[in-house]
Amino acid sequence: MKNTKPPLWELREISKAFPGVQALDKVSVSIFAGEILALVGENGSGKSTLAKCLAGVHQPESGELIHQGEPVEFAHPFEARERGVATIYQEFSLVPTLSVAENIFLGRYVVKSKLTGIDWEMMRQQTSEILNTLSIQFDPDEVVRDLSVAEQQLIEITKAMSVDSTLLIMDEPTAALGLAETRQLHELILRLADQGQAILYISHRLDEIFQIADRITVLKDGRCIDTQPASSLEMMEVVRMMIGFDIGQHYPKEINVTSETCLEVDHISTETGVNDVSFDIKVGEVFGLGGMVGAGRTEIANALFGLDRLTEGSIKLYGEPIQLSNPADAIHAGIGLVPENRKEDGLFFNFNGSLNITLSRLSSILKWGFLNLTQEHQTGKYYFEKLNITSSGLERSAQFLSGGNQQKVVIARWLFSQAKLLIFDEPTQGVDIGAKIEVYRVINDLTSQGYSVILISSDYLELLAMSDRIAIVRDGKILQISPAKELTEYELLSIASGAEGNGNG
Amino acid sequence: MNNLVKFFRSAIAGPLAALIIAVILISLTTDRFLTTQNLINVSLQVSTVAIAAIGSTLVILTADIDLSPGSAAALTTCVLAILVKNMQIPLPLGILLVLVMGIGLGFINGFISSYGRIPSFVATLATMSMYRGLAFLITEGHPIFSISPNLEQIFYGKLLGIPLPFIYMLVLYAAAAIFLRRTRSGRAIYAVGGNESAAHLSGIHVKRTRLLAFILAGLAAAIAGTLMSARLNSGSPNYGVGLELAAIAAAVIGGASLAGGSGNVVSTLFGALTVAVVQNGLNLNAVPAAWQNLTLGAIIVLAVGVDMWRGDIGKNLSRIFSFRKGDENPGRQRTAS
Ligand SMILES: Nc1ncnc2c1ncn2[C@@H]1O[C@H](COP(=O)(O)OP(=O)(O)OP(=O)(O)O)[C@@H](O)[C@H]1O
Ligand SMILES: [Mg+2]
Repeated sequence: MKNTKPPLWELREISKAFPGVQALDKVSVSIFAGEILALVGENGSGKSTLAKCLAGVHQPESGELIHQGEPVEFAHPFEARERGVATIYQEFSLVPTLSVAENIFLGRYVVKSKLTGIDWEMMRQQTSEILNTLSIQFDPDEVVRDLSVAEQQLIEITKAMSVDSTLLIMDEPTAALGLAETRQLHELILRLADQGQAILYISHRLDEIFQIADRITVLKDGRCIDTQPASSLEMMEVVRMMIGFDIGQHYPKEINVTSETCLEVDHISTETGVNDVSFDIKVGEVFGLGGMVGAGRTEIANALFGLDRLTEGSIKLYGEPIQLSNPADAIHAGIGLVPENRKEDGLFFNFNGSLNITLSRLSSILKWGFLNLTQEHQTGKYYFEKLNITSSGLERSAQFLSGGNQQKVVIARWLFSQAKLLIFDEPTQGVDIGAKIEVYRVINDLTSQGYSVILISSDYLELLAMSDRIAIVRDGKILQISPAKELTEYELLSIASGAEGNGNG
Repeated sequence: MNNLVKFFRSAIAGPLAALIIAVILISLTTDRFLTTQNLINVSLQVSTVAIAAIGSTLVILTADIDLSPGSAAALTTCVLAILVKNMQIPLPLGILLVLVMGIGLGFINGFISSYGRIPSFVATLATMSMYRGLAFLITEGHPIFSISPNLEQIFYGKLLGIPLPFIYMLVLYAAAAIFLRRTRSGRAIYAVGGNESAAHLSGIHVKRTRLLAFILAGLAAAIAGTLMSARLNSGSPNYGVGLELAAIAAAVIGGASLAGGSGNVVSTLFGALTVAVVQNGLNLNAVPAAWQNLTLGAIIVLAVGVDMWRGDIGKNLSRIFSFRKGDENPGRQRTAS
C-alpha cells in the first residue's frame, strides 16, 4: 500500500463503553487515501461503534482521532461530515415519508435564493445524476416508504455518495442487496478508491471482502486483533482471528429429507405479484427460493404466512387444506416466518430477550390462566444458551444486542413457537460467520427433527449449499425447480437474472 | 430483594421520587397536610382521576390516545341519574347498566380508531364532543340532583376505617397491574405499542388488542363517572371537564411513553397521587386556581423531562466526577417485565 504517505485518518487507542459492555478497547487503526480497508469481526465486536466514533455519532471516552496529522474531536455528525467523512449506517437513516430526492438532500437542501427558496429542480436533477452513475433506476419523486428494503439500501448509499467526501464509511451496505446490485456497488467502490477516496468497508460476507479490500482489520470483543494486507491473508485465517478457533466446515449441510409431504402449494396467485406458483415440500427438506431482489420470493413467503390473500389456488399442510387470512392463522397451523427486516418486523425493543421469544406462543407458559414469569425467564435462558446469544440481552432491551444476536432472538421465537414449517427470509443477513454456522446448525437440527424449512437467501453460496432443492423465482413465477446439487452458481444466476447465456448477473 | 432493587431503579423511581419530594415540600409549608382528615380528603380527591388514568395508561401503551374519558364520565353521571331517579330502576342495576354503557363507549372509540383506521386522537376528539353533546341532550342541559339516598354511601362509605374510593382504586390498580403483567392480553398491549408490525407477524391480533384497550378505558371512565355522581349524588353534563387531561397527565408523569409500549400502572398511580398531593398542598396554602394550573403544567414538563434526560444527566455526572462509566440507566428504555 501507500504506507509511505501519512495516513488520511489515524485512530489511536479509541475506547468506548456502553452500559455493561466495553464496545471498543484501545483500538488503533490507520486509513490511507485510496485504499479500501475492511473491518470484520463477530456480531457485537464493535465494528459499528468504531464507525460511529469516526462519523461523530459516538464520542470516544479516550483515544485520539487524527485527520491528516491534526487531532480532531467531533461533537456531532455534522462536524465529521465537514471533515469529509460520509457514512452509510447499518441502520437505515431515511425518512420514510419523504421522497428519494428529499432524503438524499436532507439537512443540506440547495437554496436558490432567499426569495425562491429551495431549489427542488436542481436537487432532483442532481439526484438523477447520482442514481445514473450508480446505474440505479429510480424516480427521484418516489416516496421512500413505498420502496423495498434493497431499494432503500440503494438510496442510503446514494445519499452518502452525494456528499463530497474523502472517507466513505459503509456499514454492511450489501446486507440487503442482491448479487447484481452488490456487484454494481463493488465496481463503484473500486472506482472511487482509484480516484483517491478512502473507504472503510464493514461486512460479514468474507468473500466480498477478499474481492475488494486492500487491507483487513479484525476486531474481537472490542479489541483490534490485527490489520493485514488482504493479499497476505487466507479466509480461514481471518475467521480464526474473528472467532478465536477454527470453524471446520463452513456449510455443515445435513440431508434429512423424508418421503412424507409437508406442504403442498397448488397454483397460488396474489395481488402482490405471485403468479401461479406451485411446489411441494417434504418433511425435513430445506427448500430454497433463489432469485434477484424483487423477484417475488418475499411475496411467496407472505402468501404462505397469511399476510397476502390468495386470489387463486390453495395450500395444504400435511394433507389438510388451510385457509390463511392473517399470521395468527398461519402460526396456528404451524408455520413460522423469520422476516427479512428484523428491526422493523421482528423485534420488540420495549421487551427484553425472554419476552421477545415467548410472544409467539404465550399459551404454553400459562399457569392457571396467568403468564408464568419464572418459566418465561427459563425459556428465554434456554434459547439464549442454545443459540449462543449474549446473555446480557436476557434482561435488557433487545435494542442493545448486536445485529446478529438480534436475528438469533427472532429465530428463537419461532423455535419456541414449534412451527412445523419455518420460512427463513434472509436469515443470515448481517450475521457473523460463527452465528451463520449456528443458524445452519439450527436448520439441520430442525430438519432432523421433522421440521421443514423454506430458505430465501441472496447469498447464493449459502443457498446452494444449504438447500435440498431450489426453486428459481422471477417476476413472481417459479421458473424451475431442481436439486441444489445439480445447480451451479452460474446457472442459478443466469436463470434468475433472465440473462441466460451471457451471465453477467 | 435484587428484583425489588431493579424494579425501583427501572420504572418507578422517577414518579415515586416526585411524589416523595412533593410530600416533603408541602409538609414544610403547612402542618395541615399530614393530618388524617386531610390525607383522607386527598385520597377521595384522587380516586376519580386515578381510576380514569388506568384507562389512559392502557390506551397510551398501545400507542393510541383517548381524549373522551371526561365526556364519557359526564354521560355516565347523567344516564345513571335518569335511570335511577327518573325511571326508578334499582341503584345496583343502574350502576351495572352504566358500566356496560362505558364498555360500549370504549368500544365505539376503539372500533372507529382501529377498525375504521381513523387516528385515535381524531376519533376520540370526535367522541369527546359527541359523548358530552349526548349528555346535554338527554338532560336538556340541566343537572339532576338527589339521585338516590344510597348512592352517596358508595363514595363516602368506609371499610375498616378506610374510605371506599381508596379501596376501589387500590383494587382496580392491582387488577390492572396483574392484567398487564401476567395475562396474554396485557402482554399483547405492550407488544402492539412496542412494534405493531412485529406484533402482527408474531400472531397477535393487533386491532383486537387496541380495541380491548379502548374498551377497558371506557369501563374505567364509567367507574370514575359513577364515583363522581356518588360524590355529589347528582348527574350533570358539566362534570368531568378536563378529566381526560388529568388522567393523561398522571400516566405521562408516571413515565408512560406516548410512543407506546412502555409504562406501567403502578407508576401511573404515583403520577396521579403526585398531581393530587400538589393540588391539595396548593389549596392548603390558599394558592389561586390559576397558579395551580401553571404548577401542574410545570410538573408535567419536569417529570417527563427528568425521565428523558436521566441518561444524559447520569452521563454528565459521571463525566464530572469521573465515576466508572457504564452504570448509568439508559433513560426512556424500559422493559415490560
Ligand atoms: N447504543 C448502544 N447502547 C448500548 N450498548 C450498545 C449500543 N450500541 C452498541 N452497543 C453494544 O456494544 C457492542 C458493540 O456493538 P456494535 O454494534 O459495534 O457491534 P458490531 O460489530 O457492529 O456487530 P454487528 O456485526 O452485529 O453489527 C455490543 O455488545 C452492543 O450490544
Ligand atoms: Mg454493526
